[in-house]
Amino acid sequence: MTTTIAVSARQVDISFGSEEAKVIALNHTDFSAHTGELIMLVGPSGCGKTTLLSVIAGTLTPQSGEIEVFGQRLDGLSQEELTTFRRKNLGFVFQSFNLIPTLSVVENVMIPLLIQGASHAVAKKKATEILEKVGLKGREEGKPNALSGGQQQRVAIARALVHEPPLLICDEPTSALDKDTGAQIMEMIRALSRAPNRCVVVVTHDFRIFKYADRIAEMEDGKIKRVVDDPRTLDPTYL
Amino acid sequence: MLRLALNMLFGDTAKLAMLLCGLAFSALLMAQQTSVFFGIMSWTYTPVVNIRAHVWVSDPMVEQANDAKPMRDTELGRVRSVDGVAWAAPLHTSFLQARMVDGNFKLITMVGIDADTFAGAPAQLSQGQIDDLRLPNTVIVDEWGAQLMGRQVKGPDGKITTVALKPGDVFEINDIEARIVGICKVRRAFTGGPFVYTTYDRAKSYTLGARRTLSFMLVEPVAGVTPTELCQRIENETGLKAWTTDTVIWDWTDRSLARATFWWFWKNTGIPFSFGTAVALGLFVGIAISGQTFYSFVLENLKYFAAIKAMGASMRVLSAMLFVQATTAGLIGFGLGAGMAQAIGRVMIEKGMPPFVMFPQVLIATLILTMGISFVSAIIGIVKVSRVDAATVFRG
Repeated sequence: MTTTIAVSARQVDISFGSEEAKVIALNHTDFSAHTGELIMLVGPSGCGKTTLLSVIAGTLTPQSGEIEVFGQRLDGLSQEELTTFRRKNLGFVFQSFNLIPTLSVVENVMIPLLIQGASHAVAKKKATEILEKVGLKGREEGKPNALSGGQQQRVAIARALVHEPPLLICDEPTSALDKDTGAQIMEMIRALSRAPNRCVVVVTHDFRIFKYADRIAEMEDGKIKRVVDDPRTLDPTYL
Repeated sequence: MLRLALNMLFGDTAKLAMLLCGLAFSALLMAQQTSVFFGIMSWTYTPVVNIRAHVWVSDPMVEQANDAKPMRDTELGRVRSVDGVAWAAPLHTSFLQARMVDGNFKLITMVGIDADTFAGAPAQLSQGQIDDLRLPNTVIVDEWGAQLMGRQVKGPDGKITTVALKPGDVFEINDIEARIVGICKVRRAFTGGPFVYTTYDRAKSYTLGARRTLSFMLVEPVAGVTPTELCQRIENETGLKAWTTDTVIWDWTDRSLARATFWWFWKNTGIPFSFGTAVALGLFVGIAISGQTFYSFVLENLKYFAAIKAMGASMRVLSAMLFVQATTAGLIGFGLGAGMAQAIGRVMIEKGMPPFVMFPQVLIATLILTMGISFVSAIIGIVKVSRVDAATVFRG
């Protein structure tokens, strides 16, 4: 399978706060991810994983450096252009699921399609189909709170993929799940990453799921310290 | 997305109930207080409603219907001579004290009408007949007055009840007998005293022969002459003031006595201020409760709005969602509040107190204000959502 660069960050800088209390979150950071790949960002708290994820997702604009996602330069885009970019190209899986409790399962999954302007009927049909694929057939009309943590994360994955985005961003997807459920979810995410034009970026602290990664980027002090194929070569203090 | 926005709103029953309570209470307060205000204000021009005629003529200094400045009887002849007058009848109105058989005194509004034509007589009698007013010392009392001026009777159980006046009962006005020959149905007046009808000449004797007793003249135009035209002619030829009697207080164009009376009370009493305060209170309470509730609704959903924002929803879509939620809550709140105001109004109308007049304009104004409250709430929410950073979705 041929792969291409899906995500490329070059010399990205981001800092927060004023002069005295300045916190450097990303420091000349370079990062890349490829299509058909599941890459994990790991490292201690405060190392800049979430900031880098936010920059890749177009929810945070770097102060300097270049960000390119599927050939589209994000640095320099207006907020409106970034919003449009996210709508078309990104799917999100959040740590705390972020499922709207007052909406039904299928309505939650419909959201990305409705944002894109799909009709209610079309969105519902597609959402129902993908819920069946993630093993939640028959649970469409229930409320998210009636589901287990693993099922809720499946709903979140269905929501992230229903509009078939090329880039899937996962923020601590297993942190709220037990070991077995986390493994099931990661199996699912890894399978999804095998699509030829898709790339999956996962931020995690959960060393139990490192084995699902094709590559692991280890971060420290706002930089990519190294990128490894085998989790066993990681610094054990991070694990 | 708008359908989902509504589902988000209706999905949180407790929050929705609180939001609707705030809006409904506000709408109720505004609609009910305004309707009671207009009810009370409509009582100010009750004489124009009860004493029916197309044109009223008064002393030029008269400003409103309760403000009689007596004229000489000879003015009647001058008015009758104006081209376009079909007939003109005298009318006396005054506030007098009536002495009841038990020695108690009651304030009454005496109305003296022309004995020949009975022009200005009450439209409906529940007891007796109008012709009996031609008998000596006779009067017709309105239903509320019959109850108010009734006799207090102690029953065998010691309980005191009021026995309403009826035809045949008598009382005195300035030591002159007044025998009731009828009970009429008329609207109550702002000035408080019940209406006691008698003939114009007998009213003179009840007022102990005052030199001037002609309070107003009731005039009918000939066919083809409008009341407004006739008013102009009467004023031009006699120098008196002539009024039409339509009661559409929203119409600013002509010379309605009812309208002049309404606005006189508006300008010269504290009633509008007092009710205006209650209405403003309703508005502020509505804004406070609804704004706060809607704001807390937005706050509770902020992380979801942030997630939707991160997924690529524009502020236009998010604003539309919040507006749909606020507008829907506003419409339901208005419906509930206006419905409750109507229900309370029905009870008030049945009991007769306090007066209640709900003009369509009141409902429209209440709807506009309630929607205004909702829009303010929506704008507060939109500002909050616009400031939320989509990146917050990655911070747990």
